[in-house]
Amino acid sequence: MQMTAAVDEGAPKGPSRAIEWSPALALHAGLSALLGLVVIVIWAATGAGYFWPAWVWLGVGLPVAIHAVAQASRRVRAGRRRGLFVHAGVTAALAVFLVAIWALSTSGYFWPIWPLAVLAVALGADALVVGLWERLSPRAREQALTERVDVLTRTRRGALDVQAAELRRIERDLHDGAQARLVALSMQLGRAEERLADQPDAAELVRRAREEAGAAIAELRDLARGIAPPVLADRGLVAAVEALGRRAPMPVRVDARIDHRLPPVVETAAYFVVAESLTNVAKHGGGAGALVSLSIHGDRLGIEVSDDGPGRANTEGGGLTGLRNRVEALDGKLEVASPAGGGTTIQAELPCGS
Amino acid sequence: MRVVIAEDQALLREGIVALLRERGIEVVAQAEDGEGLLRIVVGHRPDLAIVDVRLPPTFSDEGIRAAVEGRRRVPGLAILILSQYVEPVYTAELLASGDGGVGYLLKERVGDVPGFVDAIERVAAGGTALDREVVAELMQTRRRDGDGTLEALTPREHEVLALMAEGRTNAAIARTLVVTPGAVEKHISNIFSKLDLPATDDDHRRVLAVLAFLRASG
Repeated sequence: MQMTAAVDEGAPKGPSRAIEWSPALALHAGLSALLGLVVIVIWAATGAGYFWPAWVWLGVGLPVAIHAVAQASRRVRAGRRRGLFVHAGVTAALAVFLVAIWALSTSGYFWPIWPLAVLAVALGADALVVGLWERLSPRAREQALTERVDVLTRTRRGALDVQAAELRRIERDLHDGAQARLVALSMQLGRAEERLADQPDAAELVRRAREEAGAAIAELRDLARGIAPPVLADRGLVAAVEALGRRAPMPVRVDARIDHRLPPVVETAAYFVVAESLTNVAKHGGGAGALVSLSIHGDRLGIEVSDDGPGRANTEGGGLTGLRNRVEALDGKLEVASPAGGGTTIQAELPCGS
Repeated sequence: MRVVIAEDQALLREGIVALLRERGIEVVAQAEDGEGLLRIVVGHRPDLAIVDVRLPPTFSDEGIRAAVEGRRRVPGLAILILSQYVEPVYTAELLASGDGGVGYLLKERVGDVPGFVDAIERVAAGGTALDREVVAELMQTRRRDGDGTLEALTPREHEVLALMAEGRTNAAIARTLVVTPGAVEKHISNIFSKLDLPATDDDHRRVLAVLAFLRASG
């Protein structure tokens, strides 16, 4: 279903494990471990004298460590931070390597102090530069903000998609649950009423109960229709807009060029844009006719409702503000043009990501 | 009368079957989805098919699509749609799908047993039984874009025609509008002549008038 795909798109991405075991890294580490075992066997077979395999371990261990660092750095987003991450990882590996050489050789004067100091200073300088750059560079801040906006856009859209799906689920549940039970109840009451023909008082009570059930069904129906009219869910935006056009009190021409279903949240928003616009035409258009066009340009749905009425509509009215909020929540745009004597045109654009 | 029913909600389906049996109407087959409806319609050639709009697997307008297809396979099939909402588009599609009785009732009307059975009998006999809310929607649509045919009717004649579309008898129309049956007959004959309907028997003209009204609205 469209829903699921849209929700997945909105879900945050990224690995959750501590170490990324790529096949290449696993092979590298495995071969190194094997070599480590082989040299022990050779060492033991040749008389188990001075424990030289430690040097071999050190030699094959360093490349594995650096490989692991490089692999892990993929989790950090590309840029200076990733560079700093690799730098820190390689520094740590080198430090261990140097101390190990010192320990395996003379173990006397701690000469690694000097190269370690140089490595530490270099790392510190790098960290400082990255920190300052991130704080001061407008481009870096801009990039960070852009990424934040991307995440917010995605998650907001995800939330709206989930909400639309939830609303349709509630509508379906009402239909299959409460409404169906009330219909069954109403039918049983009707049958009871039939059998009470000889007891008019009781029959009257049952009839009233049936009317109550009928009123409850009607209220649930209005509720469901407010979520989204059935024809929108059943047949999609074009059919629903055509139905709106037929129901409007003035002539409405619909020019729709959409041949596939759009995400529910987009369909619902577009539907209400057209519905509210047509209501406005009916109220203020002075009986003028209206033209509704729907079209897809790339990944955007264009909606235009125009009339040939007297124009000068209030472009900030309550209904329009509500529509604008609905459209902007989806990162769309809504514009109203209403010059005196030039009719009124409401244009909206919605990203439909399909 | 032989009736088939397509309704996925067992409670309602069985209730309707029991209710019709009490009234001496035989439900010869039942289905739970559109495919099943087509099978039993073709297999049993019933006098009437009672169909829920929302059926599995899509739970959208499966019932309407199956009913239209059923009429294609069994010409003249009478169809009574049950729905939880009014959707004029669907009524129009049914009417456009060929001859035969057509009904569209909100589901809760099943509770009015005499009314429901009456509607079943009317539709099976080739007439119409449209829910008053469907008719109200259609009238609203009708009131504006005149193509001339219905424009000629007076508001009172419109009212009478709407009640005819619901499937009311002359006596019932007279009661609703608080006029004499004679006045109703006069309105109806005016409607017939304004719609230029051939002088066949009254029942048939009634159906034609209603169809003219509905087709113009769809």
